[in-house]
Amino acid sequence: MKQNLLNWIFLAAIVIIAAFIPMIFGIYYSNVIVLFSIFALYAVSYNLLLGYTGLLSFGHAMFFGGGAYATALALTHIPGFPLLLALLTGGLAAVFLALIVSPLLVRVSGTAFAMLTLAFGQLLYVICLKYREVTGGEDGVGGFPIPSLNIPGIVSIEMTDPLKYYYFALIVVLLSLFIMWFFTKTPFGQIVVSIRDNANRVDYLGFKVPHSKAIVFIVSGFFAGIAGALYAMLQDLVSTDGALTVYMSFFPIMMAFIGGIGSYFGPIYGAAILTIIDEVAAAYTEHFELVTGIIFILVVLFAPLGFAGFLNFVKIKWSARSSHQGTAEEVS
Amino acid sequence: MDSTTAMYIAQSLNGLAYGMLLFLVASGLTLIFGMMGILNIAHASFFMLSAYFCHTFLDMTGSFLLALLVAPLIAAFFGVLCERFLLRKVHAFGHIGELLITVGISLVILEGVKFFWGTEPYLVAVPEMLNGFVPIVDLHYPVYRIFVIGLALLILVLMAAILFKTRLGMVVRAAVSDADMVNALGVNVPIVFMLVFGIGTWLAGVAGVIITPILTVFPGMADQVGLDAFVVVVTGGFGSLLGAFIVALFLGELNAFGIQFIPKLAPVLMFAFMAIVLAFKPMGLFGERE
Repeated sequence: MKQNLLNWIFLAAIVIIAAFIPMIFGIYYSNVIVLFSIFALYAVSYNLLLGYTGLLSFGHAMFFGGGAYATALALTHIPGFPLLLALLTGGLAAVFLALIVSPLLVRVSGTAFAMLTLAFGQLLYVICLKYREVTGGEDGVGGFPIPSLNIPGIVSIEMTDPLKYYYFALIVVLLSLFIMWFFTKTPFGQIVVSIRDNANRVDYLGFKVPHSKAIVFIVSGFFAGIAGALYAMLQDLVSTDGALTVYMSFFPIMMAFIGGIGSYFGPIYGAAILTIIDEVAAAYTEHFELVTGIIFILVVLFAPLGFAGFLNFVKIKWSARSSHQGTAEEVS
Repeated sequence: MDSTTAMYIAQSLNGLAYGMLLFLVASGLTLIFGMMGILNIAHASFFMLSAYFCHTFLDMTGSFLLALLVAPLIAAFFGVLCERFLLRKVHAFGHIGELLITVGISLVILEGVKFFWGTEPYLVAVPEMLNGFVPIVDLHYPVYRIFVIGLALLILVLMAAILFKTRLGMVVRAAVSDADMVNALGVNVPIVFMLVFGIGTWLAGVAGVIITPILTVFPGMADQVGLDAFVVVVTGGFGSLLGAFIVALFLGELNAFGIQFIPKLAPVLMFAFMAIVLAFKPMGLFGERE
């Protein structure tokens, strides 16, 4: 409980800082932060699969890109499409994709699951690349109008202003993060964790393992789709290389792993760490992804619990020392 | 012979050539999967690495034969290094750790390739002695593709001989079906793992060299061929060489005729085939385990 309280205080502090960042650092860094928060949402949605359900997916870009494309296409072809509906379209498109693929996926686990998700992700990539009359091929869909946030009779906020979009994206991400956090705390969320730990036992207890996996898959896909929709409206451009490549599927894995898959907040740390590395390394070399890749390998090799695991380790050491002070020798 | 028949023959030979190349890549992948229980995401990256080495060797010496001998060996050397110093370290953490390490390796190789060779594609000319056409009835077919088919067949026969006729092959086959048991019998399984990983990457490397005159050398080639190889391994059945062989040839033909008749749907056909197979046989056509 104390741990959670600390995390929430930490989060509140970040929110307050985030609210003032555009005034302090200017619009370039607020755009970096919007990207970071979109990827944080993407990585946390991914961690529902990897960290909570123990399913390693190599095709999460399917949901992110699917959501991004759905939003972009809806905004291109339907005049006057409202903002919140566009956002929801992204999420629902991802849910639709998840519903199509989950009957095949929920029956397998481990390596087969990873390979099948990889294949489906690539399938969507290839389809989007080939059907250029709909998706624009390599060029993607771009230049669509970004609608304003209209609450009838009260207010209308222009989203083309980066500052206003910054606040909008941040609020959507925080809300989504809160809903997912709540989702992991429900009884169903606990069943999901026990599927990760012992699927057979959950099955014997009378819970339907495949159905539960499908639900997690759909929830995770929905929020990845929301992240994709936010991304599409931020860039005003969706392309296959930007949203659907296999590397887009690897990013949330790296973020979740570097941050720590054992913790809800881990992927957020991971997204922050990778954003910082990218920003710093990009100043010195254009091959910053090389740096990211090497760091990823080192984390998998030497710190499989990631940054959150490291934090936890420090905390345990620290609390062990303070509680045993004067009464016992330090236990190593 | 009319032009339609000629087209059919040419396309089926093209399909055969691509299918054989695919088998070279996929056989290493499926052997490694059989032994270690992981699908090596970086496998196609070694394939690409070898193609780039081939390009460099051709620039330096101009001898395709030398490139064919040396480039795959260097790729295999890198593969063995990765197995020894990265994969083996995370073996204890289970399959997720190993899969993630291979993802990391593939990222580093991709970025390394971009770093050393740049992102522009390189064209590699067909070697002088293999440049030409053979008349098949009244169809002129490139010699080089016949050479590809022949070389792949030669390697296939050699590999089958080693696997099924030698003591080493017996150990490898036994380790594929139960590594723990073989270890308990006193065989040094880690060394066998390393050897198989080396041979697997060498096979991918050979494919990488002989594909260079057909395909250009560019940083996306690993994705392109790697994905096809994954489909072969998944549908053929994890760890099954026979399955990989049959599916590789079938996909090669499917690809060749798909491009001929329904160019837009060709890449989707492969996945459709995989989805159908997996819907009925989740372990693949010849697979015995997940």
